[in-house]
Amino acid sequence: MGKFNKGKTRAVPALSTASLPDIIFMLLFFFMVATTMKEVDMQVEVKKPGASEAVELENKDMVDFIYVGFPTDADEGTQPRIQLDDQLAIDYTQVAPWKLSKAREGKTVFDIVTSLKVHEEVGMRIVSNIKETLREIDAVKINYSADKR
Amino acid sequence: MAKRKLDEINAGSMADIAFLLLIFFLVTTTMEVDAGISRNLPLKRDLPVDYIPPPVHDRDVLIIMANSQDQLLVEGEFMEIEDLEEKVRDFYLANQDGRDNDIKMPMWTRIDGTIIAQEIAKLKDAIENGPENLVQMNKDDLAKWEKRKIVFDEVGPYSEISNSALIQLKNQSNTSYGLYIEIQNILKKVVNDLKREECNRRGWKNFDDLDPEDDDDAAKLEMLQVLVPERIIEAKIEI
Repeated sequence: MGKFNKGKTRAVPALSTASLPDIIFMLLFFFMVATTMKEVDMQVEVKKPGASEAVELENKDMVDFIYVGFPTDADEGTQPRIQLDDQLAIDYTQVAPWKLSKAREGKTVFDIVTSLKVHEEVGMRIVSNIKETLREIDAVKINYSADKR
Repeated sequence: MAKRKLDEINAGSMADIAFLLLIFFLVTTTMEVDAGISRNLPLKRDLPVDYIPPPVHDRDVLIIMANSQDQLLVEGEFMEIEDLEEKVRDFYLANQDGRDNDIKMPMWTRIDGTIIAQEIAKLKDAIENGPENLVQMNKDDLAKWEKRKIVFDEVGPYSEISNSALIQLKNQSNTSYGLYIEIQNILKKVVNDLKREECNRRGWKNFDDLDPEDDDDAAKLEMLQVLVPERIIEAKIEI
């Protein structure tokens, strides 16, 4: 006779998760737009110097990167090393053949910028050697990578 | 005819798929933007063995040395990095008015139609009739004068820093790359500031708004390259 069934507890209706994918997709798109693909696995540690006049590098497909820094793997020693693509180079003489092998369709080495990403504590000797080799093969367009301050 | 009501598709796993994609992107991408200072290395040129370079006056060269202890020596004097910008600016502007204000800094020369015509005629003659081994060098020079002609045709007679004025960078083996970039940054900053001022003076668009993709702006950038020349040479590392 009572209108209220006191015995049973009422079930809470299930929370609709239909909009959850939308939220996640929104996050996904944000990250797809705001980030760039990693080019390589870093074998060396590079702490880039800062520079107020640094300008953003455009058209990254047309840029080759050379990394110079201290090896992350302790077995490789503590001296600064050059990383070309995914591998540590033995010394700077490997830079020229590597750069020449990176020539793209319809472009010469002359047109393709070489970006040097160098740890700020590395000595100039190694950088100077790299530049000298690049100049020998006419790859004269250089970009010194730096964080914009 | 009664339509059969379709069952709703279960979208519960959609979130899982999206999560998976999201995590994939989080792992494989980086946030950093690539920025840097662009430079062109000097082109490789085979100079003839018997070639004697024209004499370079002391006043035309600014020598910046950085040693293994990251100390600076500018024109033979010890200098703090904070003072370098002013020094480089002074190097460019000391004798800007064409007078000999500072005998240690490079002179400025007036470029007008007659000089350009003379030089171009002289170089063309040298390319045709001069010694074979100097042809490439003369062609390079000719290209420079032709650029000056473009500027002259646009803005009329103008002054420019001495043709042989240059900044020489010397490093040692252990000079840190950080200091080197700091110096490069200062050189770039001075040149960019001067270009900004040049743009303002000539009533052009702001230097920072010039777009290299646009033909008209690109032409202006080319001209600024002549008006504010960036001449840096780097000495080989000796020690």
